[in-house]
Amino acid sequence: MPHYTVPVISQSGRNSPKPPVEHLYPVSEPPYHGQLPTDTSTYRASSSSTAIVIDNGSSSIRAGWQTDASPRLQFPPVMARYTDRKLNRKLTFVGSEIYFDGTARGQAKNIYEPGSNIINNWDVLEGALDYIFIKLGIPGRDGVVDRPVVMTEPLANLGYSRRITNEIFYELYNVPSVAYGVDSLFSFNYNGGKTGLVLSSANTSTHLIPVVDRQPLISHATRLDWGRSHCVEYLTRLLKTKYPGLLTAGKVTDTQIEDLVRSHCYISQDYDNEMVHFLDWTGLEDRDHIVQLPFQEKEVIQKTEEEIRRAEEKRREGGRRLQEQAAKMRLEKLVRKEQELEWYKQLQQQVQDATTKKEVRALLEDEEFRDESHLDRKIKEMEKSIRKQRNKDVGDMEEEPEEPPTYPLLDIPDEELDEDEIKAKRAQRLLKSNHDARARAKAEKAAEKARQDEIKRLDDEHREKHFDDWVEERRAARSALVQQIKDRERLKAELGNRKSQASQMRMKHIANLASDTPIGRKRRRGGGDDDGFGADDADWMIYREIQAGKNEDDEDDEDEDIGTQLKAIEAQLLEHDPQFTEQSTADAQRDWTKSLVHAFVRGPWPFDPESAAESSQFHLNVERIRVPEVVFQPSIAGVDQAGIVEIAEDMLTQRLASNPARDLLLKDIFVTGGYTLFQGFEERLRNDLRAIMPIDAVLNVRKAKDPVLDAWKGAARWANSAESKPAFVSKAEYLEKGSDYIREHALGNVYP
Amino acid sequence: MAPITTASNDETHQALLDKLDLFPIPKPFRNPHWKPPQRRNKNLRQILADAQRAQTSLLNTQQNSGASTPIPPSDGTQTPPSSLHPNPAQASQDLSRAVLEKNTKQLHNGNTGLLTPGGATGGVVPSVTYNSIAAAPSLKPKRKYCDITGLPAAYTDPKSGLFYYNAEIYGVVKGLSTTQVQEYLAARGANTVLK
Repeated sequence: MPHYTVPVISQSGRNSPKPPVEHLYPVSEPPYHGQLPTDTSTYRASSSSTAIVIDNGSSSIRAGWQTDASPRLQFPPVMARYTDRKLNRKLTFVGSEIYFDGTARGQAKNIYEPGSNIINNWDVLEGALDYIFIKLGIPGRDGVVDRPVVMTEPLANLGYSRRITNEIFYELYNVPSVAYGVDSLFSFNYNGGKTGLVLSSANTSTHLIPVVDRQPLISHATRLDWGRSHCVEYLTRLLKTKYPGLLTAGKVTDTQIEDLVRSHCYISQDYDNEMVHFLDWTGLEDRDHIVQLPFQEKEVIQKTEEEIRRAEEKRREGGRRLQEQAAKMRLEKLVRKEQELEWYKQLQQQVQDATTKKEVRALLEDEEFRDESHLDRKIKEMEKSIRKQRNKDVGDMEEEPEEPPTYPLLDIPDEELDEDEIKAKRAQRLLKSNHDARARAKAEKAAEKARQDEIKRLDDEHREKHFDDWVEERRAARSALVQQIKDRERLKAELGNRKSQASQMRMKHIANLASDTPIGRKRRRGGGDDDGFGADDADWMIYREIQAGKNEDDEDDEDEDIGTQLKAIEAQLLEHDPQFTEQSTADAQRDWTKSLVHAFVRGPWPFDPESAAESSQFHLNVERIRVPEVVFQPSIAGVDQAGIVEIAEDMLTQRLASNPARDLLLKDIFVTGGYTLFQGFEERLRNDLRAIMPIDAVLNVRKAKDPVLDAWKGAARWANSAESKPAFVSKAEYLEKGSDYIREHALGNVYP
Repeated sequence: MAPITTASNDETHQALLDKLDLFPIPKPFRNPHWKPPQRRNKNLRQILADAQRAQTSLLNTQQNSGASTPIPPSDGTQTPPSSLHPNPAQASQDLSRAVLEKNTKQLHNGNTGLLTPGGATGGVVPSVTYNSIAAAPSLKPKRKYCDITGLPAAYTDPKSGLFYYNAEIYGVVKGLSTTQVQEYLAARGANTVLK
C-alpha cells in the first residue's frame, strides 16, 4: 500500500493568479556580535575550588564560572589564525569575532570535524580555551590556570580525543583538576529528571539515553549521526540542484544557510500528506518563502519622450539625407545614360547616312559593334532602361503595355536559315520557353487559389451540413498533430541516448551505406558492381533519415510548420466548436500555473528570466519540511540508520521491554538540544510514539526549559554541588594513572 | 581585507582589527615549555582505526598469548583481584585489564537486565564505544520520495535510478545530464562513487 494518496488533478484550465509577492526574506549578515568583555572581578572573588564550566558544543561554546546563572561567554567554535601580508603580522581571532573581517572569515577553522561530534582541530581548541581564560581574567602565574575545569564531551567519547584534551588541560594549562560530563545528561539533571528517556538532538548528532534513577544506561544509549549542521549541508545540496550556480554566484555562506534552516524549517506533523499537498495551488503563496539574495540591477536607461522623439527625428533625418544622395546619384546616372543614348542615336544616323559598306563597318568597329542590328538592340535596351528609371524617379513616362513578344523564326525550319538566323532562332526559343513558363506558373497560381477557395467552400458547406462529422475530423486532425509533435520530441530525446532504438537504427543505416555488401538490398544476380541504389527514388530518403537531429534548423522549421498548422486548426475549432475553449488549446495546457516544476522552483508567481532580482531569488517550499524530517527518516538523506522514533521504539519495546522502569521511562521523554527548537518537534515525537506504544501506556514528552543553554546550566549547578567533587581527576592522578583514567559519575561517560 | 559592512571604513576597520586580535595579548597561563605532539589532528576514521587496532592487540595479548592464562570463566561468584598476574611482564596491560574485569564483575553481580551486550560476550569486549552506540540501520521499508521535488514518489526511472512523482517530473528527469543525475542521487547517498 502506498504511504500517501495522490490528489486528483483537475483539468480546469489556468489557475487564478496570486496577489503580488508580499514578503521577501533576506539572507542574514555575518553573525558578528561584537567583542566579548573581559571580566577579572569574578576570578578575584572566587576560591581555588570555583570551577570554570565549559559546554564544548559544536554550534557554540558556552563558558563561565560555576557561580554564574548563565554562561557569560558564548561563541562559535571557530578560530582564524593567519599572517596578514600587508600588515606583516600574525593575527588570531576566535569566536564570532572572526566574522567582522572577510579574510578572517575565509581563514576560519572549526574545532569539530565537519559532520561529526569529534574534535579534530586541536589548535583551534587551544585557541578557544585561550580565549576563555583571557575573557575570564585568569592571571595565570607561571603557566598555570589555577582553577578546576568542568567540560562537556560527547557520549562515548573516543579515547584519543580525551587523551589529547587531558594533555592540553594538564600539561599546557596545568589545570589542577578536570571533570568531564555529557551535555544532555546535565540538561536532564538540570530539568529535574530522575528516570526518563533523554533525547538530545543537537548540532552534529542525536542521542537517545535511557536514564533510570539518575543512572544513565549508557550501554543502551544510541547515537544517530544527524544534527542541525547536517541539515545545513543537506539544504545546501538541495538548493544547489534546484538552482544550479546560484549559491556560488550569490556567495551564500554556511552561516546564512544555517540561518535559513533555523528560521524557515519546521517539523511536519503528517509528513507524507503535507508533502503531497505542499505544492498545491491553494495557499502556496503562504507556504512558499522567497529568499532574496543581493543582486545588481541591470542598468535600464529610462528615456524621456522628448529624447525618444529627438532620436527618431535624427534617424529620419539621416534616412532622408541618404535617400536624397541616392536620388541625386541616380539622376546623374540617368543624365549620363541619356547622353550616351543620344550619342548612339547619332551614330545610328551616321551609319544610315553612310554611303559605303566600308564606312559603315569602320564606324561600327570603332564602337565595337558587330553589325547594325547589334547597335539597334543596344539602343533599344538603353531606351527601355531609361524609361524604367524615369518612371521610377520622375514618374513622367507611362509604362508602355508590353506587347506579347513574337517569335517569327521559330516556325521556319532550320534548312531555310543561315547561321546567324539559326543563332537567333535558338535565342528566340529560349525566350519563348521562358515566357511560357512564366505564364504557366501564373495560371497554376490562379488554379491553386481557385482550388483553395473551392476547398474552403466545400469545407464550409460540409460544416454546415454535417457539423458533427466536421468537428470530429478536425479534432482527429488536431490530435494527430499533437501526436506528431510528441513523436518528434521523443525522437529528439531518443537520439540523445546512444542506446535508444532510434539512434541504433541510425547507426545501422550509416554502417549499411558505407558497407560494400549492403544487407537488406538483395544483390542482383550477375548484376556486377551496381547494387541498384538510386533506381528507386525512395532510396535517397536514407540520407534524410541518417541526418535527423543533425541539422537543427531544418527540424525547427518543420516544428514551426506543425505548430502553425496546429494553430490554424485550433483557430477553426475555437471559432465553430462550442466545446473547444481557450483552455483546451495546447498553449493553455502548457500553462505555467499548471506546472508542478514551476510551483517547485518559482512558487505561485510568474517568473521573468530578465529580472535580475527574480533570478537571484530562491524559493523555500518543500525544503521547509523536507530538511528537518531527516531525523525521523534518515534514509531521505541517505543516512543508513533508523530514525529517532524507530530507535525509541526498539529501545522501549525490545531492549528494555522487560525492564521494570520501562513505564517510568515513557512517562518522561525529555528532549533537548538545538534541533528540538524546530517548531512541532515535541508534538510530532509524541504522536509518533503514541502510535507505536501500547494503548494504555502513559506517555509524556517534555522539552527542556532552554534546550540550548540548559546543558551548561546543569553542568554549572552540578559543579556547585557536593556530588561533583569525587568526579574530578587531579593532575597528580593524571600523571600517575594516565590519560585513560576517568572517574565515572551519573552524568558522564563510563570507561569503555 | 574587505570590511563586511558598508558602515565601516578602512580606518575604523583597522582599529577594530587591532582591538579584536588575540595574538599580541599575553597568555601567561600557557606552559611555555609545552610543545604539542606532532600530527595530533586526526579525523574520525583514523582515530577509530587506531582504536580498533589497539583493542585487537589488547584482546590478543589477553586471550591468545601463551604467557598469560585466560580470564577464568566468569561464573559471577569470584573474580578476585588476585587473578591479576603477579608476573611483572604483564604489568603494562594491567590497568586496562583491571577495568575490564571490574566491568565483568559488575555485569554478573547485578544489573544484568540493564547491561546485556557486554555480559553476553563474556565481558572482555568493551561494552560502550563510539561505534557501538551508533544506531543500527532501519528495519522498516524505506519510503520513496521524488528526488527532484521531494514529493512522495511512486515511480523509479530505470535508467538513472531517480525517483519521480509524476509524468511532468519524468520529463525533467529525462532531460538531466549524467552529472546532474549524480547530484540528485548524492542527496540521498545513492550516487556512484568512483574510487
